[in-house]
Amino acid sequence: MSKIEKALSRARAGGGNLQVVPAAGAVPSTGTTVVADSAAHPETISRMAKNEMRILGAADLAQRGIIQPQHNEDSAVQVFRELRTKIVQQSQGQNAVILVTSVSKGCGGTFIAQNLGAAFAFDMGKTALLIDCNLKNPSVHKLLANASAPGLTDYFENPDLDIKQIIHPVGIARYRVITAGRRREVLEEHFTSVKMKHLMDTVRRRYRERFVIMDGPPMSHIADIRILSELADYVLVVARYARCTNTQIARCLDAIGERKLLGIVFNDEPRIPRIR
Amino acid sequence: MHLLPEQIAKALITESFYSRRLIVRIFVIVNVALLTAGMLWPKGYTASTSILVDERTIIQPLMQGAAVATDALDRSKNAREVIFGRKIMEQVLEHGGWSKSIPSEELERLIEEIKKRTVISTVGKNILRIEYQDIDPERAFRMTEKFAELFIQESITAKAAESGAAFAFIEKQTQDYQDKLTKTEEELKELRSSTLDARPGSDGEVTTRLNDLYRRIEAATQELREAEVKEASLDRQVSGEAESTAAISREGQYRARIGDLQSRLDTLRLSYRDTHPDIVQVKQQIQDLIDGINAERLRREQTKGSGRSEPDESVVNNPVYQHLRREQSQNQSTIEALTARIAELQRQLQNELSRGKRMHSGDARLAELTRDYQINRDIYQDLLRRRENARVSMNLDRDRQGLTFKIQEPATLPQAPGGPRFLHFVLGGILLGLVIPIGLLYLRLQIDPRIRVGSAITVPHKLPIMTVVPHLWTPRELRGLRWELAWLTLVVVATIAALAAFAAMRFIKVM
Repeated sequence: MSKIEKALSRARAGGGNLQVVPAAGAVPSTGTTVVADSAAHPETISRMAKNEMRILGAADLAQRGIIQPQHNEDSAVQVFRELRTKIVQQSQGQNAVILVTSVSKGCGGTFIAQNLGAAFAFDMGKTALLIDCNLKNPSVHKLLANASAPGLTDYFENPDLDIKQIIHPVGIARYRVITAGRRREVLEEHFTSVKMKHLMDTVRRRYRERFVIMDGPPMSHIADIRILSELADYVLVVARYARCTNTQIARCLDAIGERKLLGIVFNDEPRIPRIR
Repeated sequence: MHLLPEQIAKALITESFYSRRLIVRIFVIVNVALLTAGMLWPKGYTASTSILVDERTIIQPLMQGAAVATDALDRSKNAREVIFGRKIMEQVLEHGGWSKSIPSEELERLIEEIKKRTVISTVGKNILRIEYQDIDPERAFRMTEKFAELFIQESITAKAAESGAAFAFIEKQTQDYQDKLTKTEEELKELRSSTLDARPGSDGEVTTRLNDLYRRIEAATQELREAEVKEASLDRQVSGEAESTAAISREGQYRARIGDLQSRLDTLRLSYRDTHPDIVQVKQQIQDLIDGINAERLRREQTKGSGRSEPDESVVNNPVYQHLRREQSQNQSTIEALTARIAELQRQLQNELSRGKRMHSGDARLAELTRDYQINRDIYQDLLRRRENARVSMNLDRDRQGLTFKIQEPATLPQAPGGPRFLHFVLGGILLGLVIPIGLLYLRLQIDPRIRVGSAITVPHKLPIMTVVPHLWTPRELRGLRWELAWLTLVVVATIAALAAFAAMRFIKVM
């Protein structure tokens, strides 16, 4: 039995609360907060306290462009829920590894990946893990209060680092992230390493309800995309409003191949907000 | 991108929101530009006058077909030619207060300028409108008035001159044809007097006469031939009668004498010997007589060969012979008479033939002259009619009855400046400020290949569009947007307020 399983069994015995991190709605809406639900998970708390782990509140996440479950009337929230449903249907209920990449830089691939993760986490029966695979231009760390928390590159470089040490919670229940890490000089060849394969196997197999989302680099880094798509079950291509031409999109799709392609997400269509 | 109309409409709305700053910027720039243009636009006062060009006077129905009215087609073009002519332009310039002593290049430029500011158009069929624009209302009025006045004057003069020239021309033509006609008449007269035979019907007369002559000549010739035959027959008869009678009588006498002598000889022989001188003598005589018969025979033979005979008295005294001779002489005279008649008839025939020939050549000439005469007469009569028409037209123009010009609407002193007013610039600015950016956005939608509508993604493999994610407004963005919208609204309102203020100021100044 792994340590996490042990911890979970303890948690069930303790209070029946599966949540390691308090639900986003319960968290005070302003500022950062230390995970304070000590009664829920003493071991985790002690570890987090050691790493001075703090998480961002719902308001901060909203500020960073993350959808919130309570904003159900927001069409964006509905769209991500719909996208989630479609993926679940596609994977026939099984958990899956989804690589999200964009047609070109600035198409909002990260935005889609982050919010897709959030949408999975909204579902009580599912958890989501977002891995920042865009090592050249990482952005997942912005969801954490501690931006310098160890991430993927640290895991590759540091043999002592355990997988659980690089998985960090964010201010949404059932949502975890792995950042790109502090070491930026690391090359993408690590994606082909045994360690990466081990990581992916572990994170996927550990929980059957966990959906893993890889925030990949844009399609201009075609070599990385090929490698990452090998690790993923599905590939989702993001095209942005007034940014991509049909030719560009067609070229990307040809490079990935039909087998794993899930579809295209047309991102950032202008919407006139209701201003009160 | 090929979009459906509703997609275009939706895309235009979202794009307008997306490019709101650009739109406001263009709106402000366009408005400021047009406001400036409106401020700087020179005030132009336009005076106009209408001239009724009436050719349907009471005279026209009366003179239908007789007097030709000047064609009124493209009257404005004609009017432009007349008014922009150097003659009128110089007078107008002088009237407009421009000094005569300006240099020629300056004058040319000035004339061109005035031409540009003058609009000549036709309203309806018969009304000519002259408009002139100037910065000075007083001068605009004066110039327009002068234009109309000079135009009418010039038109009437020109028309009178035109119809006068037409009359003169037709008059000259008429004179020419009259001369020609007179000349032809003279020639005809001469020809008629020179060929008196050449009268109508002389042709038939000549033919009759010729036929008569031919018939008579033929008859005379026939008679002559008969007389000749008769003459030959008489000749033959006369000579044959004489010869035979003469010869036979002489031989008979000789033979009788020979018989006498023979009987005497026989008697003598009874008595005498042959040597008797009587017998010898009788023998001699008989021989002589035989010689005589022979000689006679020979002579008769010879006469028969030569055809001439010299009848002796016995023949002449023969009554048959005498009858024949009489007939012969009568016949001779008949022949002579007939010969003379034929000669006369031949002469007459020649005369008649030459007369016929003469008559024919005269006829041809006569026909030619008559034809000329008729043609010339027709043309002359037509010209006479035309001359009278022209005279009437000329008189109409002289009396100003043909084409009347009436000033329908006299020029007035313009009170308010014409042309695009300040308000037009202001309203145009607002309109253009909206139309230009939206037009540009539309253009961008049409030509920019980048996808703006999710359904416009056409990719291979029939890959689905998983979803279209709308822009997620973060609270900060919404705050910023609120500020931005407020600010942009303020800019637009301020621009419109400024426009309104300028317009009001302008209006008050004008009042």
